[in-house]
Amino acid sequence: MISNADCPLCDLSAGQAGRIVRIHGKAEHVHRLAEFGLRPGVTVRMFRPGTPCIFQLGESKVCFRQDRQLQVFVEPMPHRV
Amino acid sequence: MGNPNTGKSTLFSALVGVHQHVGNYPGVTVEKKLGRMRAGRQEFEVIDLPGLYSLAVRSRDEQVALDVLLGRIDGDQPVDAILCVVDAGNLCRNFYLLSQLIELGRPMVVAVNMVDVAERRGMRVDCSLLERRLGVPVVPTQAHRGIGIDEIKAALLRVRGTPPPELEQVFPAEFEREAELLEGEFDSCGMPRCACRRFRRGMVRRMLLDVHGRMHCGLDPAARSRWLSLLDSARARLGEAGVELPGVEPPSRYAWAQRVLDGVVSVAADRPPTATDRIDRFLTHPIFGLAVFAAVMAVMFQAVFLGAKPLIDAAAAGVDAVSGAASHILPEGALRDLIVDGVIAGVGSVVVFVPQIAILFVFIAVLEDCGYMARAAFLMDRLMVRVGLSGKSFIPMLSSFACAVPGIMATRVIEDERDRLATIFAAPLLTCSARLPVYGLLIGAFIPDYRWVYGIVGLQGLVLGLFYLLGIVAAVATALLLKRTVLRGESPPLLLELPSYKRPSASVVVMRVAQRVWVFLRTAGTLILAISVLVWAALYFPRNTPTVGPLLAQRQAIEAVRSALPADLAEDDPRRTSLDEQLAELSRAIDMEFQQHSLLASAGRWIEPVVRPLGWDWRIGCAVMASFPAREVVVATMGVMYQFGDLEEAADKDIDRVSRQLRSVRRDGSDEPAFTVPVALSIMVFFALCIQCGATLAVIRRETNSWRWPAFAFAYMTTLAYVGALATYQIAAWLALRWA
Repeated sequence: MISNADCPLCDLSAGQAGRIVRIHGKAEHVHRLAEFGLRPGVTVRMFRPGTPCIFQLGESKVCFRQDRQLQVFVEPMPHRV
Repeated sequence: MGNPNTGKSTLFSALVGVHQHVGNYPGVTVEKKLGRMRAGRQEFEVIDLPGLYSLAVRSRDEQVALDVLLGRIDGDQPVDAILCVVDAGNLCRNFYLLSQLIELGRPMVVAVNMVDVAERRGMRVDCSLLERRLGVPVVPTQAHRGIGIDEIKAALLRVRGTPPPELEQVFPAEFEREAELLEGEFDSCGMPRCACRRFRRGMVRRMLLDVHGRMHCGLDPAARSRWLSLLDSARARLGEAGVELPGVEPPSRYAWAQRVLDGVVSVAADRPPTATDRIDRFLTHPIFGLAVFAAVMAVMFQAVFLGAKPLIDAAAAGVDAVSGAASHILPEGALRDLIVDGVIAGVGSVVVFVPQIAILFVFIAVLEDCGYMARAAFLMDRLMVRVGLSGKSFIPMLSSFACAVPGIMATRVIEDERDRLATIFAAPLLTCSARLPVYGLLIGAFIPDYRWVYGIVGLQGLVLGLFYLLGIVAAVATALLLKRTVLRGESPPLLLELPSYKRPSASVVVMRVAQRVWVFLRTAGTLILAISVLVWAALYFPRNTPTVGPLLAQRQAIEAVRSALPADLAEDDPRRTSLDEQLAELSRAIDMEFQQHSLLASAGRWIEPVVRPLGWDWRIGCAVMASFPAREVVVATMGVMYQFGDLEEAADKDIDRVSRQLRSVRRDGSDEPAFTVPVALSIMVFFALCIQCGATLAVIRRETNSWRWPAFAFAYMTTLAYVGALATYQIAAWLALRWA
């Protein structure tokens, strides 16, 4: 089920945080992301939206290109004031 | 061992100093960095393995790392101890690899690097608590300042022979049960004998998780099939129990890391924007970022072309001095000519490129080390995706506008093998600096110097631009074609960590540049030497031209007159200098006479039917053949073939005279001019598309680890060049006819 609240990671606006809810793609690629620390339950903060995008994951900044083969869905969190 | 961007190389340099060298692991193009370290009264060999996020085998880097750790590289013992470097600011992710390494059961020391950077962000790491939890020495370090290095050496000495304690349960109980069962079968399946039980368990776990079977076991077929069927049934049972493979690994290990790190790291409540964030806001901006990037690239190219000029001149002068000295020392004859014109000229043609290549490598190393390279890849990704590549291919491609060799060597950052090969193939098509002398001569001599818009826009400049464009179009088309045919396949996701900016370390940059230049000299030098000697021989032999006889007699006569001059004559006496000039003139004429009747010249006449449709006569064919080891020699060879003397120097001084000279040449036995605009265009197109560069072929061979790829590149580009030149000549000749 895809709830309305979820959106693709690259659609987060700059500065907005989101919690990863699921990752669609080939098991091998999903596994690779998971090893890197990109897995459901983790919170990321967008730095530079777009394709590719840059976001903050813990203390590291990550550049990621989302395409049809590999999609990360997040549950956006309200903007921090 | 460690994640990328943990300061691993800096720590390695700090441990071993200048006692390091690089090579390749046998059979793969993964850099093997070795160094010698003194600790206590002993000397140790230190291996710097490629930076990894995981030991799961997917790429050649991971394969090599695992093979080295397990001692499966021919003849090597398993390592005595592992030094795992982790980034203090990013412990959780770094502990993923750490837990995999601890499981291998080798003695281990953990270096928590960049503690100062983490502290500035308000993070504190309790290393002594961590040491108690892990049961292995944990040393805080600041590698760039040399802090913690002695402690690491002491810890490495201490842990020798003591494996780390078993980790508290990482995997679900079902998984461990299966691993234990498999371990019981380990010896009966002919697995490599290992005394250490922990090491064996580590191997079993990795094999169980390695569902794609990429860990080559090196077993005999019968034992292998038995082992594989055991693995399969174990995996099936785990699947039924709800343990997914290999999906179980990340959550299990991250859960372990969180348990271990609980209370070890104290984080500031609010994460203030760091300096890196502020810089990135600017440097990754869609407009400002691109502007800065363009400026950085412009500076790089200015440095390569202008900065290298005096160095190249100096290198060329050095080569001339050596060959001059050799001519004096050695007696006249075939040996002297071989050494001067074959060996020194061949090696010299490699050496004169060193300044350019070194400057490019300095830029690449600095950009890599300060952290900008990853941003460049981000900025260029959007563009490169359209040609089926990723942002990581951009810098190698751009470097190739100066020289394809450093470009191809820089492709190692591209993990995806297919992207890497496509980039390697596209690189030699881009207009490198060695093509410029050919373009300069032919455009200067044959393209009229029309100018428009107050003389700013010139036809010659436009044509040169067109040839650059031709190179780009050919490179992009080649990359696209390869990615759609031979190298088709799904690319792995682009996932790239952007490291924090830091001041580039001089020692890391110097070491990297020195190592790469040395690799270039060794790889290119040997091949070019061989080809140069061959081409020299083809131009030298058979040396039995009868028409040289009268010239030799004339020279002897002049020499006799010269030696009869009074001995007390001044050095610059006109009588002596005029004789010297005549002698030099005659020697040149004799050389040309020999070369006109050399093996190469006969080969040139023999292949004339092949080059005829390109509009070339046999002399051009010869010059082009002679330029296969290094394209820039074509101008010199053409000078020899048409008896013009030093064409390059003449073109610098008076291009109009050279133009008239070239236009006045007739084809043998006819009144047709040998050089026309269509002929010049056809030669330039050939040079734009052909891989006339022994150094590039040698480097492709080194980077792809087989002769198949350079052979394919050679065949592909030569065919492309021939067809391109053919089409150019035929169309241009037809147009010229219609105009006339």
